Amino acid sequence: MSDQAPSFEDLYEDAPCGHLILSPDGRLTHANRTVSRWLGYEPADLVGKRLLDILSIGGKVYWETHVRPLLRMQGSVEGIALDFVQREGVVVPAFGSVTVIRNADDVAVEMRLAIFKAVERRQFEQGLVSARKAEAERGRLADESLRTERQNAELREQFIAVLGHDLRNPLAAFAGGLRLLARENLSERAGKLTSMMSGSAARMSELIDNVMDFAKGRLGGGIVLDRNAHAPLGPTLLQVVDELRTTHPDRAIEVELSIDEPVDCDRPRIGQLMSNLLGNALTHGAPDLPIRLTASTTTDILEIAISNGGSQITPAAMEKLFQPFFRGDVRPSQQGLGLGLHIASEIAKAHDGMLTATSSPEDTRFVFTMPLVRG
Amino acid sequence: MSATTRNNVRISGSGERAMMFAHGYGCDQNMWRYVVPHFQDRFRIVLFDHVGAGGSDSAAYDAGKYGTLQGYADDVVEIAEELDLRDAVLVGHSVSAMICALGSIKAPGRVGKLVMVGPSPRYIDDADYHGGFSRDQIEELLDFLSMNYQAWAAATAPAIMGNSDRPELGIELVESFCRADPDIAREFARVTFTSDNRADLPKISVPTLILQCSEDIIAPVEVGEYVRDHIAGSQLVRLAATGHCPNISAPDEVVSAMRDFV
Repeated sequence: MSDQAPSFEDLYEDAPCGHLILSPDGRLTHANRTVSRWLGYEPADLVGKRLLDILSIGGKVYWETHVRPLLRMQGSVEGIALDFVQREGVVVPAFGSVTVIRNADDVAVEMRLAIFKAVERRQFEQGLVSARKAEAERGRLADESLRTERQNAELREQFIAVLGHDLRNPLAAFAGGLRLLARENLSERAGKLTSMMSGSAARMSELIDNVMDFAKGRLGGGIVLDRNAHAPLGPTLLQVVDELRTTHPDRAIEVELSIDEPVDCDRPRIGQLMSNLLGNALTHGAPDLPIRLTASTTTDILEIAISNGGSQITPAAMEKLFQPFFRGDVRPSQQGLGLGLHIASEIAKAHDGMLTATSSPEDTRFVFTMPLVRG
Repeated sequence: MSATTRNNVRISGSGERAMMFAHGYGCDQNMWRYVVPHFQDRFRIVLFDHVGAGGSDSAAYDAGKYGTLQGYADDVVEIAEELDLRDAVLVGHSVSAMICALGSIKAPGRVGKLVMVGPSPRYIDDADYHGGFSRDQIEELLDFLSMNYQAWAAATAPAIMGNSDRPELGIELVESFCRADPDIAREFARVTFTSDNRADLPKISVPTLILQCSEDIIAPVEVGEYVRDHIAGSQLVRLAATGHCPNISAPDEVVSAMRDFV
């Protein structure tokens, strides 16, 4: 055969694909040697069988429900998967194309089916199907856990807000009681004790304010300002300093105020910001070195700076300083929630201002700046 | 959204009574294109696509609702209500034979007669019941269909569009013909081939015609006879046509049997 030109018959019989010719009612009238070999039949044995007899169950149903209607409508179908079944029952995955041949009177006379074995392609497709299933499942699980996480976070924050709110009233009663007690004729020891307790109550009140501000921020409320451009800011700042001096009589706080311009700000909030910064300096600063507070205005900016001596803040800690719940290395008894600096920076942002920190071996310095008037 | 938009309802023909056609699994309303012209002169013809098939709105698909055939039957009823059909002839092919039957049970006044083409109330064999498939075969079938939809969606859709030996069908038709949302079609296959509606057959109260093909691998003769035996007063007509889609392969035979019935 090799010394002769290949005949079309050879091309048909031993083509690299299987050829099947069917009568219009779906019976095989020809099968080439290639497909006969794949399926384990002699070509003659295949003739007369229904195509459905050599298809897998999936192939049969697909042929009946999809391929036949398509062939009737458009005369050909390309690139369909069809699983065949060998004489011994083994499934042969294949894909192929079908064309309906019509005579001059437009009557269908036969169907021609070319098929390719598609073992690897089928494995690939099955892999795709599995991957799609797994992907959908992963996506579903991820969505679910994200949703649960969000719900939990929201619940936690609502819980904090409610708890903070409910703690305020008994704490106010407690502080009021202490104020009444302080007016009584107390012994020196009792006087010191009530003063310490008042300091603790004030500190608790600040913690609650910070926690509630944080929770509100997370719940979408944000920090709401009640600005006033006319009331003086100086007395508010001095009052905060006085309170802290009372509760920390052994610490030196040096104050230098030169607020010459009106500041369009929420004074209690600026007081809270400063109280948080001073509280931070009292906790982390060296006890034997003074804390310095300066507040001044230029023609368009308010600047409040608070510095303290003591050990330098590490670069790693500097990065996280203003994040919520960040706590530096302090004695456990001094640990707060780690919200003070975070809330202070949020108050600064609410005023279109900035809060920055620098730290050297000599001193640690926080600077708050904000525009005097709203932009 | 209205049911008529959701299900791509098409109305044609004229007549006092309506004849509504429901396509089966695997295709869309074009399945009826060779049957419909024979009834347009005497009936108001209602064609539609199940959600996920043809020109329906796939966005309306809800896995819960369409997790049983009743969800599809509810759509049939909604369409009938929106169009205010009364005493209509409901024609369902393949799985839609049962879907239409469920619709006739839910809305008896809307449906006057039922035509079931190649019906099967259950495809899987059971103790005293021959459905034609074993449970394993159905699993194999669903795997195969799932895979073919993967390939179908990825590779063959453009080929179908660009390929028409019958230009009279028009591009629009070729583009939409037998197109289905692959994910929905996969679920529809599962719902179809794992359905069991044998208990619903005795509830069918309208006159019913069953058209049974020869050599139908999906709905064998025994199944057609089972359906006849469980619907009081129903009649079964055996067609010479082979296969599962006589509405496509032998429309004349289908039309003639239906004419005698309606």
